[in-house]
Amino acid sequence: MTNSAKKILISSSFILFPFALLAHGVSSGDQEILNNGGLLSYIYVGAKHMVTGYDHLLFLAGVIFYLKSFKDIVRFITVFTIGHSITLIGATYLGIQANEHLVDAVIALSVLYKGFENLGGFEKYLKVKSPNLLPMVFIFGLIHGFGLSTRLQSFEVGSSQFLAKIVSFNIGVELGQILALIPIVFVITKWQTKNSYNAFYKAANFYLVIAGIGLFIYQMYGYFYGH
Amino acid sequence: MKKILFALIAFVLFSSHVMYLKLDSYFLEPDTKATIQLFNGTFDKSENVITRDRMLDASLLGNGQRIKVADSQWTEKDSVTLLNFQAGAAGTWVAGISTAPRSIEMDAEAFNTYLEHEGILDMLTFRKENDELEDAAVEKYSKHVKTIFQVGNKRTNDWETALGYPIEFVPLDNPYDLNTGDSIRVKLLFNGEPLANQLVYADYKAPEDAHTHDDAEAEDGHSHDEETEHSHEPKSESGHINQGEKVKNEHSHTDEASHSHDDGTTEHSHDDNVEHSHSHDNEPESTHSHKETDEEGHTHDDTNEEGHSHVGTTEKEHSHDSGETAPHQHTSGQQLRSNADGIVTAKLTADGIWYLQTIHLVKTEEEGFTHESNWTTLTFEVVHAHGADTHTHENEEEGGIPSYVYWIGSLLLVGLLFFWFNRKK
Repeated sequence: MTNSAKKILISSSFILFPFALLAHGVSSGDQEILNNGGLLSYIYVGAKHMVTGYDHLLFLAGVIFYLKSFKDIVRFITVFTIGHSITLIGATYLGIQANEHLVDAVIALSVLYKGFENLGGFEKYLKVKSPNLLPMVFIFGLIHGFGLSTRLQSFEVGSSQFLAKIVSFNIGVELGQILALIPIVFVITKWQTKNSYNAFYKAANFYLVIAGIGLFIYQMYGYFYGH
Repeated sequence: MKKILFALIAFVLFSSHVMYLKLDSYFLEPDTKATIQLFNGTFDKSENVITRDRMLDASLLGNGQRIKVADSQWTEKDSVTLLNFQAGAAGTWVAGISTAPRSIEMDAEAFNTYLEHEGILDMLTFRKENDELEDAAVEKYSKHVKTIFQVGNKRTNDWETALGYPIEFVPLDNPYDLNTGDSIRVKLLFNGEPLANQLVYADYKAPEDAHTHDDAEAEDGHSHDEETEHSHEPKSESGHINQGEKVKNEHSHTDEASHSHDDGTTEHSHDDNVEHSHSHDNEPESTHSHKETDEEGHTHDDTNEEGHSHVGTTEKEHSHDSGETAPHQHTSGQQLRSNADGIVTAKLTADGIWYLQTIHLVKTEEEGFTHESNWTTLTFEVVHAHGADTHTHENEEEGGIPSYVYWIGSLLLVGLLFFWFNRKK
């Protein structure tokens, strides 16, 4: 393993995975920010949530691993964005809620799904061709958007400028997504030229599988035993 | 004889009313209209309104100023007395009501049952030990209740100010600096002095969803079918409280004549072949009644662990018997006892509206009375995140595992996987 590969590994590990740890980053201070700021505060909190919302980023990282060209990345991210915007705006506006642990558990499964697919799990273990990723990304986008909506609804948004606040939050999510994607795309595409990429690819996607399972168990535990 | 006994018990069961101050949300925006509901009954259902002439004091305390509530601020809806006010400047506010004493006469049996049901166990023990179980009682009682709510985000220290009631809970911690999982220390004052060794009950009512409010419930604390002749709140009408139930719980009614309580643990049943009525407070509005025939059994399904079941089919099933040995109480949740400094510590185990209550009942030499009681409650809301007015989730807090553990774990995992695959290559 070359020194440059080591460097990339370390930096990418910081960029990609530890987001898991910040959890959903919707801190107590956020409500105050929302209370005291205008629409900009919703953009900020949306962006913050996306940047620190590890499960969304793990899924996106998984999607990017799968893609070969920058054009594809833009296409898939656009579809994911459309998907999550539909449910984020729609569900929040209509006040549709679900248990956050259950929604997050499904999102965790999407992370697992992507890692499994990237490792060729469908062909290797299920002996089937993996489903077309574009519609899958759209469906997962819908689910992730519902998760984001559940989070937004956990704030006291108030009734004034309701739609504008939701849209602002959504804009923030997109900005956060772009911010987070830049280093992810950078690391993955840079590493693709290295000899060690194959090991990195496997390691990262194995991690996605493990993280997906772990997050799923964590959320289900929260569902059954959380308050 | 048995029927008389049941009628008597039913009378007692449904006659003691605990008073609470409740809000739909204990988090208010500054300078907005708000309503505090004065419940007299159970935490779930108010049985009667409190007339203004009964109130010796009604105050709002915020930002160091104590504001007397004007008579014109009160309205009534169903059996709930409503205090309408404008939430003032941001801060932690206190509202309090102190009522004038009243009296009630009870024969020995009824008095013993009442002591048991209301969890006034010390007096019951005293009566047992001093061969006073056969003594009737004339009790002078008064109620003094408080609630603490948060306006805006700014915390102020008004919560620690005593209102000077005959009996009151004064927190030692601002409830709105606390979150689920924390403990609150509360000092119990009786005539301004710490009251040691007093039984205090702490319980909560969990919201179904911390982020919504059931308006129907909020308005009258009760969402039962209007057509039914009687109305059962999940916590029952006898002043007992159960831990851990939801605002909108599984309580269900199939029809007018049949509904059920079954909570699996403790059990008691009521023969509803008698008409229960409320007369403790001598209010004209005390109209809650139970009219059932033998055939009309009803049951309640509750989620709570400590509760009771109403079956109401035959007299034999009624297990309220003065001779029963296992104490049957209508107070549940945490049973606490104040220490030498009058302090109790309640563990705030879940999100919800928390209430502390105690009835200080002693013998009195005052002419015309055998006993005197002072009732007090304190209500406040507890949420599960830092920043009391937020409803947020942080996995770190919920899971109790610091983030850096995940950080290091994830890094190690990816690193190990990488080296593993790199070597295999």
